[in-house]
Amino acid sequence: MIELQHLNFGYEPQRTILQDISLKLGQPGQNVIGLIGPNGSGKSTLFLNLVGILRPTSGNILVDDQPIDYRKKGLNALRKKIGIVFQNSDQQIFYSIVKDDIAFALHNLKLPQAEIDRRVDQVLTELDIQALANRPIQYLSGGQKKRVAIAGILVLRSEWLLLDEPTSGLDPDGRARMLALIKGLVARGQKIILSSHDMDFMYEIGDYFYLLNAGHIVKEGPKDQVFADAALLKRSQLEQPWLVQLSQRLGLPLYQNSEALFADQQLQQTLRAALAKGE
Amino acid sequence: MLTIDKYAYANRIVQWSPQLKALCWLIGMIIAFQPIMALKPVLLVAVAWNTVYLTHVSWHQYFKWFYALLPFLLLSIIGIVFTAGTDPQQIYAPLKLFGGYIGLSKVMLPRGIAVAVQAGTAIVCTYWFALTTPFQQIIGFLKWTHLPNILIEETMLMYRFIFIFIEAFEQIYQAQKLRFGYDNLHLMVHSSGILAKMLFEQVMVNYEQMVYALDAKLYQGEFYVKGPEP
Repeated sequence: MIELQHLNFGYEPQRTILQDISLKLGQPGQNVIGLIGPNGSGKSTLFLNLVGILRPTSGNILVDDQPIDYRKKGLNALRKKIGIVFQNSDQQIFYSIVKDDIAFALHNLKLPQAEIDRRVDQVLTELDIQALANRPIQYLSGGQKKRVAIAGILVLRSEWLLLDEPTSGLDPDGRARMLALIKGLVARGQKIILSSHDMDFMYEIGDYFYLLNAGHIVKEGPKDQVFADAALLKRSQLEQPWLVQLSQRLGLPLYQNSEALFADQQLQQTLRAALAKGE
Repeated sequence: MLTIDKYAYANRIVQWSPQLKALCWLIGMIIAFQPIMALKPVLLVAVAWNTVYLTHVSWHQYFKWFYALLPFLLLSIIGIVFTAGTDPQQIYAPLKLFGGYIGLSKVMLPRGIAVAVQAGTAIVCTYWFALTTPFQQIIGFLKWTHLPNILIEETMLMYRFIFIFIEAFEQIYQAQKLRFGYDNLHLMVHSSGILAKMLFEQVMVNYEQMVYALDAKLYQGEFYVKGPEP
């Protein structure tokens, strides 16, 4: 469990980026937690606070009921527990060959070579990127680089995985692959916190959401509650997911994802009947 | 993107051991710098042909890679063969100027040609090695020669980040060019200054983000460098 108690943060004393943030992450039924908000709302800054890269100006962060220990040893323990993947893949890939980069964090932990090889192979298989293992990084696509960046953190087997804008810059195929990847990780018990501007993506993948605006949490709750408030989303410069719009504007049932909508035989029959009648 | 790098990963001898390729390069360099002149042009032509054969690169592209080096080579050769003196007998095509003569030195011309052939042979051999050896093989080879880890680390990181740097350079340059930033000399100087400033700023921002990423990967001050594959 990660708990934030009245957290404030600012790079300068006069200008706070995060204001009085209190939340509990990892409550039962919350495997994928979404952090949504417009540009500059403080999502990335909150992530950096969670992994101890930035230190709150005031307030506390408790991880498993213990405050973060900001000494080197404490931070290393924290980062083994909470892994973070940043938005720009190029800035977090240091080696020129995929498998060397994935092994980087494990070498830093000074694990035995056999264990490193085993974990790297496992992650390559899990993310379905075995074919990329010996490829030079500079010839990978944006989506492939994102997967490599995630693999480089997954090898740590951290309890929590923070993903900052995992779909930014991805084409539809890359986005679909990212969705499948996250679903796969969740299915094997990985706890994930992610931030994104892609509301449809967030709606489809997340269980519980925090809406951040100008450094404040303005709403939190399960996805059907947070995305139901169209006016609040608009004020926060966000848009409602299309499935929620279909439900609110056309009176269709609220589907959890697009597959559920297109698999609804009853809806199809009703629509066909209505169209035939219209003719 | 550095297309030159792609050939290193897909050529006819990519599977050769880097030690063998380095040995071939060394023999080439020895021939380039030994005193028997006749061997050098023969080697130059043979290695250039062999490089094109092994990498499937077109001659046109191959010659284009020399454009970057030619100005330096030409300047050096011009510096050697051009001379000024009072005796026109010592100068080919003497040109009278301020009471003296300038032109190609009869003594230095053979020397200049020798240096040009020598440098050309060495460059062709180095291109052969660079175009046939993938980077991880070069790192494996450096490790095999027991060079200090810090040097290999630096080489590795430079290779990784030079692509990102070139990509950023190209993006800014194209954006400037599309807005007519290089249309005349004055604009070119101005745009080049902005380009350098922007690249420097990006380096600073990227550095900060890289430090965050290193923290997340539990970096302890040392990059692991892998030895040659067994």
